Amino acid sequence: MALTRDSVPVIGRVVATEALPASPHQFHFWTPTATPIGIGAIVRVDGEDRTVFGVVLDARAYSDLVTPLHEVIGAEGDPGAPTAPTRRAEIRLWTAAVLRQEPEEPLQPVPLARVRLATPADVTLALRMDAYAQGEPRGAIPVGLYAAGGTRAPVWLDPDFLLGPESAHLNINGVSGLATKTSAVLFLLSAVFQHFPRAKGRIAAVCFNVKGPDLGFLDRPAALTPQDLEMYAALDVAPEPFDQVRFYAPYKADGVNLNTLRTHPELAGSVEPLVWGLREVLDYSEVLLNRDDIDAKADAFLDFLADRVVGKPFVDEWGGRHAVESFGDLERLFRAIFDGLEAAGGRDMWRTHHVATIRKVRNRLMNISTRCKGLVTDDADGNDLPFGAFEDRTVYVVDVAGVDQLGQDLVFTRVVSKLREHLERRDLGVEHVVAFVDELNKYAPADGPETYVRKMLLDLSERGRYLGVVLFGAQQFRSQVHRRVVGNAGTTVYGRMDMDELATPGYQILSPATKIKLATLPKGELMVRHPHFTQPVFVRFPRPASLQGRQGVEQFPPAADVAFDDAVVRQLAALDRRVPAARVKDLIAGRREDDVRRALLATRRARPHDVVAFFAARLGPAVRRQTIGDPAHGADVAPLRTVEDPYAP
Amino acid sequence: MTVRGNVRRALARAGGSVARGLAREAARQPVGRPFAEARVVEGRDVRAIPVGDPVTGPEGMGFVDGIQQFAVEGHFGVTPIVRARVAAAVLERREGTLRCAARSVEEFLTVPCGRLTPAQREALDGVELPIRESDAGPRPHPLLDRWAAVQVIEQRRDRCERDAAARFLAARPDAWLVVDGGVTGLAAVPGAERAIGVVKSHETQFLEATDLEAALTLPAGTRSSAFVRRGAGGVEATSWYLRLWPWSEEDLLHGLARVERLMARGALDSADEVSRWVLAERSPIADRDPRWDRLLYPMHHVEVYLRAEAGGWH
Repeated sequence: MALTRDSVPVIGRVVATEALPASPHQFHFWTPTATPIGIGAIVRVDGEDRTVFGVVLDARAYSDLVTPLHEVIGAEGDPGAPTAPTRRAEIRLWTAAVLRQEPEEPLQPVPLARVRLATPADVTLALRMDAYAQGEPRGAIPVGLYAAGGTRAPVWLDPDFLLGPESAHLNINGVSGLATKTSAVLFLLSAVFQHFPRAKGRIAAVCFNVKGPDLGFLDRPAALTPQDLEMYAALDVAPEPFDQVRFYAPYKADGVNLNTLRTHPELAGSVEPLVWGLREVLDYSEVLLNRDDIDAKADAFLDFLADRVVGKPFVDEWGGRHAVESFGDLERLFRAIFDGLEAAGGRDMWRTHHVATIRKVRNRLMNISTRCKGLVTDDADGNDLPFGAFEDRTVYVVDVAGVDQLGQDLVFTRVVSKLREHLERRDLGVEHVVAFVDELNKYAPADGPETYVRKMLLDLSERGRYLGVVLFGAQQFRSQVHRRVVGNAGTTVYGRMDMDELATPGYQILSPATKIKLATLPKGELMVRHPHFTQPVFVRFPRPASLQGRQGVEQFPPAADVAFDDAVVRQLAALDRRVPAARVKDLIAGRREDDVRRALLATRRARPHDVVAFFAARLGPAVRRQTIGDPAHGADVAPLRTVEDPYAP
Repeated sequence: MTVRGNVRRALARAGGSVARGLAREAARQPVGRPFAEARVVEGRDVRAIPVGDPVTGPEGMGFVDGIQQFAVEGHFGVTPIVRARVAAAVLERREGTLRCAARSVEEFLTVPCGRLTPAQREALDGVELPIRESDAGPRPHPLLDRWAAVQVIEQRRDRCERDAAARFLAARPDAWLVVDGGVTGLAAVPGAERAIGVVKSHETQFLEATDLEAALTLPAGTRSSAFVRRGAGGVEATSWYLRLWPWSEEDLLHGLARVERLMARGALDSADEVSRWVLAERSPIADRDPRWDRLLYPMHHVEVYLRAEAGGWH
């Protein structure tokens, strides 16, 4: 693109003094007091033999007043004195950082020349977007609209630097409620899905919903203003909700009501249960055991269980045969061991493992199904994300907002680890996955003990881009997130920031004016740092086209939890609306709840044509309850001998 | 090659000596004319007259001032060769903001031409600058020669100011113009009756005895009775003293300005109103100038403008 001077009006002139010289990286210019530019505006300086693009970082205004005292004297001490007939001479002096020089070499100080506002074409050049946002295939990802001084220009991110392999990861930062972090990520995900070149591979997103209904309605359209639609058009993004979304949520403790706010009858059946058995959990037991629990002995015993026991036929020393597939099976094995040791005269070692270690591991493991009830089942069967069958341009929402911290850690660790495993084997179904994690400061804190989750996040930050797992992390305070996690994010986005946070060392590179702007950013405006941009740039973005959480629950109020049998009917009806409630209730009447849950899960997983028949088959034949002494059932079992109570009155 | 360089080279070529050429703006001079005649035209004796609350002057008011810069570029023998630049501008005030409405600039050499040899004259003629006769007389004197040059420079500056003022008054037939100094020099300029002179220096005293005392001890916010003084060429101006700032604990002349207008119908009647306009100019203070108590801020601004425009003239 030719760097020709055009008819853009001159708004200022570069000035340089000994105290404020122009350098190859920074310059100063003055403007009239009435000027369209502000902090973050991109300007162009046309010298004789070079063009320089800069972004305004700071501004000063001062008059020829020597001391404020003279102002007092001039007003005779009366602040209400009539306005002076002449306004003092004053200056608007702006400081700009160089974004780009043309020609790039030799790098020289900025010429003392006229300053113009950047045109949209200038913005493309200034941010070096011409390297990837022009020509075919473009594939550049629009992140927002640069808007300053009447100039509006789309700002694109380089897909290779956002999603790998050159650089990767995105970190978004800002105060809750005002920084619009989730909205920004959702808009960006839309842009990624619409613009990421198919030639670069298939892409999916896994979003962890960690609070409220934030991500619960991504498939539902939101009401957008004309301004939003205008921005969508300018950014070449279709204002549509995600058309392929899969929701997953664990059950509540009752094992039948889903632990999510997306339970409105109209949305019934759209949430898949997330249920894991022993096999799914055991590999990530480190997540569930606290730091003090983990020692070499416990580790060795856990390895023993994983390698030699779970999923394999196992015969104990006392002849007992075990096929451990579930927590229930595991508990039976532990019981057999303790009973065997007791019978052997109180021995305290079993296969080189001390009984105390066995007891500790047993307590922790068996406790998992209690602490994570609803997510972890005592049974062997679970229901998982479709690892291996991920679909292109699909969002997988894992709703763990209602799960306690331990459960969230487990879900998060296991899902990301499974994504890594499958991507490593190239059998996930897609080549790229964006993992969106909010509240990153909780999972990868800067301080505190080393946790399995943090280790996994660090690994993901440092090596994920080679595999195709990209972390989109969000948090309120960047300073509270591990340095290596935020430091590895190639693209950083800032919404409205807290002043205390801005006072931390990580923000020293920002000018005071930029900090003030960040502290007062309106909703829908962000500051973006990207490897191609030599300075941060402010952009605006439209509201997401998907219904946001709060509006979602207003439009689709969650259904109240229902009784066990009604919940079963509701879940089966979600698979087939014709399911007769009375028939289902008859089927489960008198059945053990665990048996019903197991049959229900199997039915959901199989999604059979005849739901009721399949469910009934999995439930098995009913074992009739028989009351002893009931003439209706005959008297073929002798009643227990009645012992007279000597203390009875 | 700069003009300065041309002058200095011409001097050297013609056998002159090149000096350091330090830039100056004024030469010290004694009080040339300490006393002058005037007649009181408002009552019998001079008294203090309260002018009322300050009132901002009419929109579009102009302010004219000039600057001068000179340098002794060298000598032919002992005869100084002075290069000078004079400039004047009228800044017009609209909505509180001053903008240039008229401007006049001149750069020239001033030398006692009679003392130059034909070769020296030819050398200076080769420099593309007008040569102004400094009229220093046939007998050289280092101080008087320089003084004579400064006289020429000041005259040219006055001329520049007059020129800028004339253009402004012609272009703005309803506008008032505030002049830094007396107004008698503008007598020939059409529209000069709209000129208000604000004189800061009080080298020439027009009053005496109790009239003088009354004028020099005016309380703040008052003016003296008006009097008529006669300027160069017999031009008469109506004048009065105006105390801008209290002088107690300060010098007698602290905050004392002399306002004058050409003798014209209504000049005396509007003395209070014009005084209120001038009084309103106390704020903002021209606090970068030691004469801030008498220098109106817009005048100061004209000077700043002219110096900025001259840049690093040398």
